[in-house]
Amino acid sequence: MIFNSVDFAIFFTVFFALYWLIGRIGLKWQNLFLLAGSYFFYCWWDWRFLSLIIGSSLLNYFIGLYIADESKSEKSRNILYYLGLAQGIGGLLYFKYFNFFITSFVSAFSLFNIHLNIHTLNLILPLGISFYTFRNISYILDIDSGKVEPSKDWVVYFSYIAFFPTLLSGPIDRAKPFIPQLENKRNFNYLQAVDGLRQILWGLFKKIVIADNCASSADIIINRYEIWSNSSTLIAGAFFFTIQLYADFSGYSDMAIGISKLLGFNVTKNFNFPYFSQSIVEYWRKWHMSLTSWVTEYVFTPLSFTLRQYGKLGLIIAILANFTIVGIWHGANWNFILFGIIHGMYFIPSILRGTMNTNKSITTYKLIPTFREFINILITFLIVVLTNVVFRTDNLHIAFDYYKRIIYNNPFSFPELVNPKVAVISTFIFLILEWIGRENEYAIQKTGLNWNKILRYAFYYCILLSILFFSGNEQEFIYFKF
Amino acid sequence: MTNEEIKDKIKVILISVLKHENFVIEDSLTAKDVEGWDSLSHMIIITEIEKCFEIKFKLKELNKMNNMGDLITLIQTKIEQQ
Repeated sequence: MIFNSVDFAIFFTVFFALYWLIGRIGLKWQNLFLLAGSYFFYCWWDWRFLSLIIGSSLLNYFIGLYIADESKSEKSRNILYYLGLAQGIGGLLYFKYFNFFITSFVSAFSLFNIHLNIHTLNLILPLGISFYTFRNISYILDIDSGKVEPSKDWVVYFSYIAFFPTLLSGPIDRAKPFIPQLENKRNFNYLQAVDGLRQILWGLFKKIVIADNCASSADIIINRYEIWSNSSTLIAGAFFFTIQLYADFSGYSDMAIGISKLLGFNVTKNFNFPYFSQSIVEYWRKWHMSLTSWVTEYVFTPLSFTLRQYGKLGLIIAILANFTIVGIWHGANWNFILFGIIHGMYFIPSILRGTMNTNKSITTYKLIPTFREFINILITFLIVVLTNVVFRTDNLHIAFDYYKRIIYNNPFSFPELVNPKVAVISTFIFLILEWIGRENEYAIQKTGLNWNKILRYAFYYCILLSILFFSGNEQEFIYFKF
Repeated sequence: MTNEEIKDKIKVILISVLKHENFVIEDSLTAKDVEGWDSLSHMIIITEIEKCFEIKFKLKELNKMNNMGDLITLIQTKIEQQ
């Protein structure tokens, strides 16, 4: 039941009507219905791991109450605090990384001609585990550091963990801004709902027209990368994947945020037009913001604080650890680890020069950037495109071979693309709309609001028609597997 | 040390790390209000403040800080404790 499916449209229409109807009876009933709807949504995907969400919510709910209770002994509170963290981290390590550790361990020994006979487990990754586990962990950490009070209503806490619009792929909302929204009565706000619908429309366009079409072009090139004789085709493959990745994930985020708005919730922003960044440092402030801010707060800050006596070296170690975690969060393979380390290394020159914060972003939102801004954006984007080869390819051998072919193949010829028209033209229009609307929460948030009504609706219909007529081959959201 | 003296010293540190003066040190000022004051520069600023006032922060103290007023109060408390 992905957002862009008929199943979901039927589910959400019924849910939406009942949700606001039940809201008239009382907040408690509305939250209970939201929780039931979230569990139903999850079970539609895979009912087997519902007990894992319920179990981890239950455990962390009680741990939250216990560690905030000052009448309890310091020692017992500490034990439960670490138990909560161990459950979250342990669950992730087991389901997501256990087999990776086993195979890496066996491979390492085989280098010394020692052949271990350890078998991997036949594990299925519970959907959304990376996202709801991060919510549980930050909740415990925030209570311990005094940033939030524990929730006293189990329905509120369970709904926070299982909130279906963001359950499977984020954004990863923190307890501090989200739980009060569950605790207070929500009133249907027409303007917020219209804004939500507009954001869903834009998300659908990004996913169905841009991401799915770019996916076809990227897959043709990357899956059979050996057959292309010039490097421009290989770079085009990485380019299409880069656009696909952004349109897919930010499209999903737009739909999740839009659906949340229809239910009266404000969910944290996940993207801020990252491909218009002028440096990699700026890029990471604007890409998957809910994850990067999470890792920054709970990994980078404590680590860099501990290492602060080592000056810039301490910062470099902390940033490399930070990005290794960002990389491996995506999944258990060496490509993601290398992807994270490479991005961490991009920060090193800026840290050494002390210039990581002096690169101004385009704050005035001019239509035409200066030549220097344009070059900065282009170079940053090219770095992102090339690094995404590691992210997209199946293993390191293929990634290195792909790079080798980019370097040694003929660079001076036009990319050999198969049926690229829809992908190229729609990407071009997409990037222009994104550029024009980049000061807003999402690109078309304010587009046409001061136009004639007919013109404005014509614009929305154009987007709708392009979704109907230029859809690519339906693909699952990339971030579902993370 | 008075609050004003603390503010002056913090201002010098911020200028040297962030390389601009586009901010006014007041109690309600937050890192988000100052261009370039992000998680990376934050740790450099904190380290410089520790050196300048010869104090040591704890991570929990930093986590609880919401604005410049909290930082100044914390520095003042640390100095008085010495």
